[in-house]
Amino acid sequence: MLLFATILGFQFLLFEAGLRTWGTSEAAPAFQGLFTSDPAIGYRLKAGARTRFTTSEFDTEIAINNAGVRDIDDVGPKPANEKRILILGDSLVLSVQVPFQQTFSELLEERLNASRAGEPGSEPVRYRVINAGVQGYGPVEELLFFRSAVGMLQPDLVLTTLFVGNDAEEAAKSAVKLQQNRAATDLLRESAATGLRRTVRRSMVLQVLRLRVLSATERLRDLKGPPEAPLQSYAATPADRIGEGLAITRDCIGKIATEAAAGGARTAIVLMPARFQVDDADYGRLRDAVGQQGGELLRDAATERFKTSLSPLSLPMTDLLVPLRQAPPGPPLFFELNVHLTPRGHAVVADHLAQFVARVLGR
Amino acid sequence: MVFNSLHFVWFFLAVYAVYRLLPHRGQNWLLLIASYYFYAAWDWRFLGLLGASTIVDYSCGLFLERTDAPAKRRLLLGASLGFNLTLLGFFKYFNFFADSLHALLLTAGWRMDFVTLRVLLPVGISFYTFVTMSYVIDVYRREIRPTRNIVDFAVFVAYFPHLVAGPILRASRLLPQIETPRRITPEQMRDGVWLIAWGFFQKIFVADNLAPLANSVFDPGAAPTGVNVLLGIYAFAFQIYGDFAGYSNIARGTSKLMGIELLENFRFPYLVRSPQEFWRHWHISLSTWLRDYLYIPLGGNRGGSVRMQRNLFLTMLLGGLWHGAAWTFVLWGAYHGILLVLYRAASRMRTFRSWTSGPHALAQVTSWAVMFHLTCYGWLIFRARSVGQITSMTSTVVRNFAPGTLDVGLVVPLALYVTPLLLVHAIEAYADDLLVVPKLSTGVRYSIYAATFYLTMLFGNFGGSDFIYFQF
Repeated sequence: MLLFATILGFQFLLFEAGLRTWGTSEAAPAFQGLFTSDPAIGYRLKAGARTRFTTSEFDTEIAINNAGVRDIDDVGPKPANEKRILILGDSLVLSVQVPFQQTFSELLEERLNASRAGEPGSEPVRYRVINAGVQGYGPVEELLFFRSAVGMLQPDLVLTTLFVGNDAEEAAKSAVKLQQNRAATDLLRESAATGLRRTVRRSMVLQVLRLRVLSATERLRDLKGPPEAPLQSYAATPADRIGEGLAITRDCIGKIATEAAAGGARTAIVLMPARFQVDDADYGRLRDAVGQQGGELLRDAATERFKTSLSPLSLPMTDLLVPLRQAPPGPPLFFELNVHLTPRGHAVVADHLAQFVARVLGR
Repeated sequence: MVFNSLHFVWFFLAVYAVYRLLPHRGQNWLLLIASYYFYAAWDWRFLGLLGASTIVDYSCGLFLERTDAPAKRRLLLGASLGFNLTLLGFFKYFNFFADSLHALLLTAGWRMDFVTLRVLLPVGISFYTFVTMSYVIDVYRREIRPTRNIVDFAVFVAYFPHLVAGPILRASRLLPQIETPRRITPEQMRDGVWLIAWGFFQKIFVADNLAPLANSVFDPGAAPTGVNVLLGIYAFAFQIYGDFAGYSNIARGTSKLMGIELLENFRFPYLVRSPQEFWRHWHISLSTWLRDYLYIPLGGNRGGSVRMQRNLFLTMLLGGLWHGAAWTFVLWGAYHGILLVLYRAASRMRTFRSWTSGPHALAQVTSWAVMFHLTCYGWLIFRARSVGQITSMTSTVVRNFAPGTLDVGLVVPLALYVTPLLLVHAIEAYADDLLVVPKLSTGVRYSIYAATFYLTMLFGNFGGSDFIYFQF
């Protein structure tokens, strides 16, 4: 038994070394090195981290600045003539799939600064758009991140980007993080779980094994009863947690808006659609897949649910589904293997947001 | 229910836990219920066919024992064969023959309105009809005595490890193991666990990872150059081997754990040096079935060279058709028939014989390489979607080989997925023992176990497909 354990350990090291050298997934330590643990949020981007992320679809350099957001330049004290736009969101905002210069946040900054040329006034305003997207964040984490970073980032406008595909689910899942005075045992359990997660994240072999176990336990859950149809946010009759998630999202965005207003900043909402809402072929496939599992997929239900749920906040809101759907025929707007925006998709979004921001700022 | 599913894992663990607690008769009842559940997990509507086939052939066996009158015995045999072949013909070949006749009439200018039936293919029908037919033929030939216990017979037909994709078992081998109490030895446990692990490795790591490589070349929209077509065919050759041999190993392994030994179905088929050898090493249970119940009744080697060649060709042609209701399978069978006929003819020449079976290293390597590529060409015919695709891919290899266009994206994964398989293969072939790994020295054995675990878990394709042979 000891010999077997030794051989198992030795081969573990061999496979770990091999995967570290040649592996290119998000489980790769190089990619996971972009993140660090955070007692309130769970994890965040690590200030000063840099990596190169390569897959079969893209090859990008990723740099995290001193404020823990994706940017080549650090964030310092705000100059008098600078207006800062903080974009909160998840991986669709972070956009590790494209070079920094091609992200919609950077393109938005370019467009805003280009359009201000010739504006009357003593000193021209300079816009700085801050990409504060973090992989895996939902509305709860965005609120917590905003609270931790607002002092340093000093935004004039906060754009909360909600991915309608899963943000209601994410919010319902993370609601516990908002509880004040959590029990010591809960915190201990969470910290142990975070510690274990971090250990697993450091090893590519353990990461893959973890995914195998997760997938098996998912299927075990399916055996207990009829499996729930996927994409509940779009279901004709969604699970109760979707309604709860929408309420938590509204609460989080409301708090961001209130706290931003206290610092003199405005808040607006940006709704990001899922790829199948734009891509007909993708929609057909998913509709059939959901149908086979006894569900019914309503293509724009999630977008409509977010609009309805957030309307009582009376915040400016824009839906990116409109420009993405109206984009003229051309190269794809989303990558094929992952559901994130291509450089063209980013450009379309930036064009639309430039007009939206101008309206919100009353330019 | 597929072997590579969580459903099967739970099913087998539950069945096995109870199996070990029961006495012999209870075990047989459990195997019968479990096997019918296993089959019903595919489609319960076809349980009736399985049951009907069991009752008809069980009854024929008993009646055959009770009568010595040759005419009556022939009638009983004919009834059994007629029943099984009608089942097979209707469910497997009805659409094929109807569509082919329709196409033929159209080419002759006759447009006929057919009453079309879209007949569903019951899983495993080719396997269990062959199993029951061999039983009745063996009883007819008085090679075995029929069983009187219908539960034992029903287990023999429906035994879940071999039910849907073989090996095609003979009553002479399996029935005695069902009829008598079984003792499970520690060696059977050890070998069984290894066969299951190795079978999963062959399916999940080798076959399911090679499938996308082969698909990328065989996809109708693909336009690969000759060298990449060749790589795609190599990928398919190892995919189908990993898939089918993997299934057979899992079947043998699970059966060993229950104290029942199944036939070896594959024995280094890509290391052989002649078409004759290939069929002694590939899908052994089918090729021996075809030999004993088709080739020999057709006349076998008797009646002169021409008749023997005809018998060989017809056997392979029907063997091809057994694989599936499509002209490409018929062509594949014909191709192997021609290879066997030509090989037999050439074997009469002493120089050819000494070249293909002699000890000279160069001769061994060249005859192996030629046979491997002939086998691969057979896989091109087998995998192609149409006769047109066979000709266009053949033409690409011949006319546009373009070695400079070798796709690294094909060759590197192909090498990565096949090399571990070949390494273990080499050890097994050197020892001429498919179960040599559990007998190796502790360190080597553990290293192979650990590598099999890591390779399967880290790089296996767990979203893979059903086993290819289920469709046959």
